[in-house]
Amino acid sequence: MAEISFPLPDLGEGLIEATVLEWLVSPGEQVERNQPLVEVETTKSAVELPSPQAGKVVRIHGGPGDKINVGEPLIVFEVPDNTAGIVGTVPTEEAPKRRVRLSAVLDED
Amino acid sequence: MSNSILESANAAASTSAGTPASTTVMSMQQALNRALDEVLAENPKAVIFGEDCGRLGGVFRITDGLQAKHGEQRVFDTPLAESGILGMSVGLAMAGFHPIPEVQFDGFAYPAINQIVCQIARMNYRSRGALPMPITLRVPSFGGIRAPEHHGESLEALFAHVPGLKVVSPSNPHEAYHLLKHAATRPDPVIFMEPKSRYWQKGEVDMADGGTPEGAKVMREGRHLTLVAWGAMVARCLQVAELAAEDGIEIEVLDLRWLKPIDAGALAASVRKTRRAVVVHEAPLTSGLGAEVAQLITQSCFDTLKAPVERVTGFDVPYPSGDLEDEYIPNIDRILFGIQRVLEYKRG
Repeated sequence: MAEISFPLPDLGEGLIEATVLEWLVSPGEQVERNQPLVEVETTKSAVELPSPQAGKVVRIHGGPGDKINVGEPLIVFEVPDNTAGIVGTVPTEEAPKRRVRLSAVLDED
Repeated sequence: MSNSILESANAAASTSAGTPASTTVMSMQQALNRALDEVLAENPKAVIFGEDCGRLGGVFRITDGLQAKHGEQRVFDTPLAESGILGMSVGLAMAGFHPIPEVQFDGFAYPAINQIVCQIARMNYRSRGALPMPITLRVPSFGGIRAPEHHGESLEALFAHVPGLKVVSPSNPHEAYHLLKHAATRPDPVIFMEPKSRYWQKGEVDMADGGTPEGAKVMREGRHLTLVAWGAMVARCLQVAELAAEDGIEIEVLDLRWLKPIDAGALAASVRKTRRAVVVHEAPLTSGLGAEVAQLITQSCFDTLKAPVERVTGFDVPYPSGDLEDEYIPNIDRILFGIQRVLEYKRG
């Protein structure tokens, strides 16, 4: 298992911080990629942040009303070692399936 | 997360009866990670760099924990500029280092073709041996992980065509560990194509005995037909050989491993015995490496061949999106069809 930390991303031009309004996930919870994690408010708008990846939530940083600077830790995930990279999915191992049968008269000359 | 892969590799260590004590079960990711760790420890001039190679440990975790262990001077992140990554490799090699750069995905090697072809491949030749280019370029390659464009391409024919480059692709964790360790000690530039769809599959790695690191390798013996493959297609061909055995056809599977230079002797030895050959690759058909393999077999086995060498390959289209991947990559039935065409070929 590996821990991956996700910092507060740059939410818009010139924004340096955001205020946590409400966490939509809690530690111990398994989240999917793109699942809304948290609602934060910037000086421009309130936005929901989608999860950058699937994994189990280990820690969340900041409660409602707390300010978090861009680049500071927001959430930490635990992911298994056989997890996919940032791009793509892990292929599933399947039992080989076939429709084609071979037929040949093999002369052994 | 540092060293997590190394630790779990150790945890998964298996010394079951019948396998040597030096044998460990690990994924190809772990095998490559272990190989790089050892290369850094053994060669103080080895340096690893690329996009996300350092702090993150690579998008496929191949360099996981290496920066923490060997320092930011030896394992580091680069800007998003493949031409820069490979250009820097040229300078480092000139200065006596052994660069092990990573291009994050196959399709991102294109922006660095100038550095690879015009500098890395021919600097040794151009300088009459004064400036060798001991560079091991790791390229996560081929398809099979449902990734977007530029993340599923097969560039082996492109690289193999360039004089001065060597090209190799491992098919399983054991090969990955030993071929990478071998490649990273060569005095020549080696393009190391990692089959990304096989990163997660586990297999036994005999750490002490890798066998010969040069040439092709027979992965399964048979007497009726030779399947020639490399990278991820080797595992598929081994499945096909298993299925063909149900029909009474004994197939030999030859893992080409080195795509430049190609082991013409191994091709000849196998096909002289089986007298039939099918070559399988993910890359498009036209001017693919299958044509080179077919010619080498024809050259050495023309008099004994029972049928023309058959090719089962990707199609002459840009690599498709993930949804269509299974239609593009040679599947079991397409390979079986290719085998059947060879089996039923009649002369005259």
